[in-house]
This record gives sequence, C-alpha cells and structure tokens, in this order.
Amino acid sequence: MGNKALVLDGEGVPETESVRGKLFFVRLNYAERVQHMIFAVCFMVLVITGFMLKIPDSVVTYFGPFGEAVFSYRSLLHRTAGTIMIFVCFYHVYYLLLKAAGRRWLIDMLPRPKDLWDMRDNFLYYINLKKEPPEFDRFCYKHKIEYGALIAGTTIVSVTGLILWTEYNWSKFVVDIATLVHGMEAILACLAIMIWHFYEIHFRPHKFPLDKTWLTGVIDEEEMKEEYALHYKKIMNDPELQKIYTKREP
Amino acid sequence: MKLNILKAFMVGTLAALGWWLSLGISFGSDAVSDTGNCLLCHRYPSIGRYDEKGIKRVFYVNDKKFAASVHGKLACKNCHVGLDQIPHTDVKKVDCATKCHITEPSTNQEFSHANMVNKYEASVHGKGSAENPKPFAEDLPTCKYCHENRMYNPLQGMWGSSEALSNETLARCIGCHTKENWARDFYAHFTHRMRRRRTQAEVVKLCTSCHENREKMARHGVESIDTYKDTFHWNLVRYGVHNAPDCISCHVPLGHSTHDIRPREDPVSPLYVFNRIKTCSNQGGIQVCHPAATAEFAGGRVHAYGTKAQMLTGNKLKDYQGIETDRILKRAETDLSGKDIFHYKVLKFIKLIYKILIGGTILFMGFHQWLDFLAVKRKQKQLKGLANGK
Repeated sequence: MGNKALVLDGEGVPETESVRGKLFFVRLNYAERVQHMIFAVCFMVLVITGFMLKIPDSVVTYFGPFGEAVFSYRSLLHRTAGTIMIFVCFYHVYYLLLKAAGRRWLIDMLPRPKDLWDMRDNFLYYINLKKEPPEFDRFCYKHKIEYGALIAGTTIVSVTGLILWTEYNWSKFVVDIATLVHGMEAILACLAIMIWHFYEIHFRPHKFPLDKTWLTGVIDEEEMKEEYALHYKKIMNDPELQKIYTKREP
Repeated sequence: MKLNILKAFMVGTLAALGWWLSLGISFGSDAVSDTGNCLLCHRYPSIGRYDEKGIKRVFYVNDKKFAASVHGKLACKNCHVGLDQIPHTDVKKVDCATKCHITEPSTNQEFSHANMVNKYEASVHGKGSAENPKPFAEDLPTCKYCHENRMYNPLQGMWGSSEALSNETLARCIGCHTKENWARDFYAHFTHRMRRRRTQAEVVKLCTSCHENREKMARHGVESIDTYKDTFHWNLVRYGVHNAPDCISCHVPLGHSTHDIRPREDPVSPLYVFNRIKTCSNQGGIQVCHPAATAEFAGGRVHAYGTKAQMLTGNKLKDYQGIETDRILKRAETDLSGKDIFHYKVLKFIKLIYKILIGGTILFMGFHQWLDFLAVKRKQKQLKGLANGK
C-alpha cells in the first residue's frame, strides 16, 4: 500500500518491518479517486478517438471495409466520453463548493505567493544551489500548475467540442475557430499529460512503474515527510487534520 | 525466293480475309452488334501499334465485356468515324457529340451526347469558344478522362449485395416485355443510374488527379486543393463512410450536373452564396448532410484557407518554387473578400499563439522534469553512499 519514499529504489528497506498499524496519509479521498478515474478513462478515450481524425491515410486503409463502423464507433465514443467528462467537471464544481472535503481542496489549491518562492527554491535545489528542496504544503506549485491547466484546458475543449457538435447553429468562422482550438488544445493537453503528469506518476525514478495513489488514495509517512513536509507538520500538530488526513492500517 | 513466297502468302491471306469480309461472316459474339465485322481483327489481344509518340496503343476488343458495357449495343462505326478503309488510315478520335444512330425514346430523335458536351464546354472545365479559347486547353479533362466505357453490373446495395435483386426484378419485367435481351438492357441502363459509379474516395482521387497538381492549377489561376484534406469531410471519405461528402456532393449536388460545374460567382453554381443553404442541407438528396444549415453556417468557407489567402497576406508560399503564380494572385484578389482575409488572419494568429504556448509549455515542462530527474538521481546516489558508509 502507498508508495515508497525516496529511498534507494527500494533497496535497503527492512523487509522484516511490519506494516501492521502503519500510518498512512490520505492524498485522494474516495470521491476524488472516482472523479480522477472517470476523468482519466474519458481523457484516454477522447485522445484515441480524437486523434483518429489526424492519423495518416495509410493507417486508415488498414481498417478496410470496417472503416465506416470504426468511424461510427469513434464518433459515438468521442461524444459519449466528452459528455461524461463534462458531467464530471460539473460534479467537481459541486464538490468544490458544497462538500467539506471539496472546499478544503479548493482552499488548498488556490495559488499563493509561497508557490512562486517554492518554485524558485526548488529550481535552486535542482541545480544544486540549495541542499534541500522547499517544504511543500498539501499541493505544491507543480500540482497547482497542472490543476490550473486542467481547468483551462477542459473548459476550452468542452466549449469548442459543444460548438462542433452543434455546428449548424454557428457561423462557419466560429466553427473554424472551434475546430482549430479544439485540435491545438488537445495536442497541448496530451503533451502536458505525457511530460508533466506521466513523469510524476510513472517515470520519477522512485515512482516507476506506477504511483498507486490514484487507486489507494494514500501514501506512507516516509513519502509524506519527503514530499509534503509542511503539510505533514501541519497534520501532526493538529488532531482535527489527523482525523481527516491519516489512516492506520489495521 | 523466300521473300516471294512470303509475299505470296501475305497476299493470299489478305485476299482470303477480303473474301471472308465480303461474305459478311461474323466472328463476334452473338451479344455484340458487330455488323462491321470489326472483331475479325480486333478480337486478337495482340492487335495494336506504337503511335507517333511511342505510346503503345492496344486495339483489342473483348467482345463479351464490350457487350456488357454501357455502349454494348452500339456498332463500332456509330462512334468511330473513318473506319471504311482497311487497314484504317484516317480514323478520327471519338467525338461524344456524334449522333450514333440510336433513337432517343423520349423525343424519337437520333441520340447523341451533344447536350452534355455543350453543357460541359460552357462549364469551368470547357475549352472555351473559338473566339475566346482558354489558355492551356490541353490541361482540361476530356470526356474519356472521367468516363470509361463502364460495365453494366447487377444493382447492388439494396436488400443485400447479391444478384438476386436484379434477377427477381428482371423476371417481373420479362413477364410483359418478352424480348429478354431488350428487357435486360433496359433494366441495366436504368439501374446503372441508381448506384454510385465511384466510391467517394474514388471521386476525390479522380478530381485531385488534376486539382492537386500545383503547377497545372497555377496555370489556370486555381489553387491546389490540398486544403480539402484538412476538412472533416475528408475524414469521413477516407474512412469509407457511405454518407461521406466527396467533391461532387457540394460542387454538383441534387439538381446540378457534373458536366455543368460553374464558377462560384455564377448564380447557377451550387456554391453561389444564395444557393449555399440548399447545397449544405441537401434536402431531397440521398445523403444526409446539414439539414438544419443556416445562412451563417452555409455562408462560410469549407476548404481551409490556402495559397490565395497566403498570397494576399504576403506570406511566403511553400511548395511553389519555380511555379508561375501570377494567375492565382489575379484571381485571389477577386475571390477573397476583406472578411475572408480577416478570418484567415484570426485563424493564423490563434494557431501561432497555440504554437508558442505548446512550444513554451513543453519546453518548460521538459526542462523542469529533466532537472527533477537529475535531482532525484543525485539524492538516490547520496542515500546509497550513506547506506554503504554504514
């Protein structure tokens, strides 16, 4: 359960240590994990079915007589996944405003000047001008950049997607803009997810091959101290936060 | 000596052939109306010659295939003029406007394709008049560029794709029209028009065989239509969707003729601004296009902006090295309005913004993650060192 913190790729971890009663920290609660899961599946479906319009003719010919059926399912899946994604977004707004956990998420996710200093200090740490990275709170600047990009990107692709879906209600110029923006935003989103998100959850050396937080929702104490030191301190000093953010494995 | 024997043999053979011809003995299939006995020679697959340009010309006629073709009931001489002398010396190229001695049943007059040819000559693809010929007329497609002598095939696509539909329908025709061959021809002639002769992809291929040729198009002041392949329409075509719009779906919709394609400024053209809603909505046509199309939607540009917009906004033309573009520029000035240029500039600006955004974002992210990777590795090395030190 949880992920290993930054320790020797797993080497040197005492195998005899019992995990019974081990302390875990909640990063994603159940509702957040479900939202992420649905969103991630929709995103992948949208990427595959969307970029099927951009693949070379030579690849399309492989579909042969099944091309029409493939195209029909492609269109259906793209619209279905897009619709579900938009509903997830609406639920997320409801969650942020009307649920206690959502409001905590929103407040913790709001950008602050500290994020800028954290980014500066983290770069200094990266280039070895600082010995230790900054102490991050629940969400660091990396999360906030990604979350902000997600909100902007999802809004743009959803609006342009709906315009394309109802194309005959708009002038061709608006449809042309929507087509261009929908495609370019999709390229941006894909590349951002591949470089930013996939690196964070798959390719960081101590996360490889997969960070399981999206499934388990928790990380262990070691990783918590390492990655979110400030939030760790806040939790440990506040019994109310401990009720929310900690779990002990029975 | 040998030469004399050979000569005598050839003269003898030719004399024998002449006698045979005079007897009117037919070598042809019963199905072909070979009244001229042309198949006497043309049934041999090897018959042919190299013309003055060195191009191999095959004069073989497969009588069975010809009989099953749209022209299968015509005699050769109906279309090929100047065949009287053998060996042929002064054969004219087939003119599709020739009267071919068939009675057209709706008017009882001698049939020819003259009305189609006349329409065609007045269209964008016509060669112009004697007084006002079009430049580079040799680039323009002739009848045969698009039309082969198509075969009659059973009607397919309804109630499955077997021959059963044709067999059953034809059986009903023959009930009254007892001359079976006549009924079969009539049925084939009629049902031939009920199905597409070419798939959408084949239509696009045919049109683009000229319209993607930048040099040829530039000679006529027309831009290459590579931009069609940026459209959603093309995506439907390349996936083989039956309802997909190809070139003729918009340029020759219901009520228009392929032979009569006009410039879009012509009020007759389906692309003329006031005809656009009808074209996009395709009411009454087989294809379901944009039945709810509004004037705003239909009034826009379907192909992406291409060469003309680039020229008018002073952009450098790619892929036009060594190609004379004066004629395109001349037409661009009348074809594109100020509004079009504004739209083109807006789209180009958005594209530029996104290119910068994508490039900048990816560069920043890639750089950040690369530094992170190095930092993590460095930390791991330190921890390993500490562990070994213990």
